[in-house]
Amino acid sequence: MSSAPSAPSAPPAGSRREVDLARVKPYADHLGDGIVQLSFTLPVPYGLAARKAAQELAAKMGLEHPEVVHYQGLTEGYTYFVMFGECVHTVDYASLSGDGFDVEYMSEEEIETFAREHIGRPIVVVGAATGTDTHSVGIDAMLNLKGFHGHHGLEGYKAFTTYNLGSQVPNSVLVAKAIDLHADAILVSQTVTQQNLHIANLTELVEIVEAESARKQLILTCGGPRVSNELAKELGYDAGFSKGTYPHHVASFIVRELAARIAERGAVDPATAGAGDPTERGAVDPATAGAGDPPGAGNA
Amino acid sequence: MASDSFGPLTELLASTRRLALVGLAKNTGKTETLAAILAEHATAGRLVGVTSIGRDGEEHDVIDARIDKPRVHLQKGGLVASTGALLRASGVAHERLVQTGVRTPLGEVVIARLSEPGIVEVAGPSAAADVRAVSEAMAELGAEQVLIDGAIDRRAASSPAVADGLVMATGAVLGEEIEQVVAATANAVDLVRLPRAADPDPQECVALTRGLVLNADPAQIAALLGEHPRASTFLVEGALGERFLEGLLGARRERAARQLRIVVGDPTKVFLSRRGPSWYARQGISIEVLRTIELKAITVNPVAPQSHRFDSRQLRELIAVAVAEVPILDVLDASYFALAK
Repeated sequence: MSSAPSAPSAPPAGSRREVDLARVKPYADHLGDGIVQLSFTLPVPYGLAARKAAQELAAKMGLEHPEVVHYQGLTEGYTYFVMFGECVHTVDYASLSGDGFDVEYMSEEEIETFAREHIGRPIVVVGAATGTDTHSVGIDAMLNLKGFHGHHGLEGYKAFTTYNLGSQVPNSVLVAKAIDLHADAILVSQTVTQQNLHIANLTELVEIVEAESARKQLILTCGGPRVSNELAKELGYDAGFSKGTYPHHVASFIVRELAARIAERGAVDPATAGAGDPTERGAVDPATAGAGDPPGAGNA
Repeated sequence: MASDSFGPLTELLASTRRLALVGLAKNTGKTETLAAILAEHATAGRLVGVTSIGRDGEEHDVIDARIDKPRVHLQKGGLVASTGALLRASGVAHERLVQTGVRTPLGEVVIARLSEPGIVEVAGPSAAADVRAVSEAMAELGAEQVLIDGAIDRRAASSPAVADGLVMATGAVLGEEIEQVVAATANAVDLVRLPRAADPDPQECVALTRGLVLNADPAQIAALLGEHPRASTFLVEGALGERFLEGLLGARRERAARQLRIVVGDPTKVFLSRRGPSWYARQGISIEVLRTIELKAITVNPVAPQSHRFDSRQLRELIAVAVAEVPILDVLDASYFALAK
């Protein structure tokens, strides 16, 4: 996820065609061929009629020259297909990336350096799985030192002071803790999505933050298997993180957003410009912040 | 209110400079209501501004992709708050007037004026303070009215600190039985129309700390009542939730039950999902507000997508019985087309 996708079987140097980023199409064998691969199952028995049905369906999806490259019976009355087809549409990647849509992910070292230079004090992050959600795996992966997949969580960064409240935390308790700690960011995880329970929970949290007049002071981020930036916008969050997210993705977003807010506040009121508000949190030497915290302090 | 005693929406809303539209759930027809208001303004040649705390006019629902959403048609000269990418994707010619500096997960919000009529996706700021600032900016740029569309069932933008009036959208999606829909709507209206608190007597009035109310620890609540045996009014600055009210009921039972009054800033700070304000009133806890919300109208969607539907007229009449003194409309019903003519 973090590493740039390497170009498949790169052609010899010099022969590569320039990509038109305003008109991007899927790539398979050569640039602009538009070929996509898709797989699906139809509830029909294996046979030539099934194959034809899949082809017609792919054509209805708008794919040209749909081709079944593999199909097999799954069980009585079900057939699985792998297909190729040509997508005729293009997307304007250039304008999307030019509109602040993209968050450039930083490495852990880059995040530490960025935070030291632009924020200069520990960034306080409070996280929980709220409401009836008993799953703490997502919030643990992002916050706890152990992290996952070889990427350690925010607790392991010098730049962050983290508080993981665990699971089944009422939204109001999470907000109370965040206000109490003068948190910079809330990270809320929602794994259970039956009957859109995650929507109700996430909505209530942001409404409580608004009711406490704390929305502008808090960076609100949410994560979970069915969370996206589109959903985050709909719900009123600053960012939404889905599957494939590593702690440094979340950290990149938080440090950039906080630095931008500090710069804005500084622009409005020069008296409080600079490294946050040292009087409120107790002045912290950025060089030793986080590293010297007693064990447990970062993971209440 | 009987449907022959009032005019179309724009007439009901004529004095409202900043109007919030709030749905009691998804698919209660909030965006249809917005579209109807916009169409009436367009016919009358009035220039208005539109912003949304979520997204509006997207082709498919972000939570249930099977549901096609109504599109938002704006006239030439209309103002819209949205992200640069969404405006560009709309293909409608427009002029960017203000870079707001408000960042959303879909990009920075800009205020634009349409150079031609068209369909745009609206995605303005989400935070109430930003919504207020963007609404003010659109009013200064010449919008006669600013329409603030809500998202899902979010209420923050209907706060009197942000909007001057509210249109509430309700619908069949709230319950499979029509009575459930009527009861849920009545509860929501009770909440929106919480009474203004008369000047509390400072002698009997106790301001509560945020932590006490948010954490709602039963022992702390009991201690509070013990410390203030004569107090009858408690002031809550931030959010008032069910857990705190339940804690209060429990603690009060242990000491001789006394009438209590809880005063909050405005109705958007009160969070009740299981029981409405009237239930708490019957238990001896009245909830009052410092600033009220002006409920201008209720619109109904008698259809629950992918599920069931009710008769529009019956639904409106039942809600009118349960909820007094507010016009109830179905903007997609023939009865409304007759009004709007």
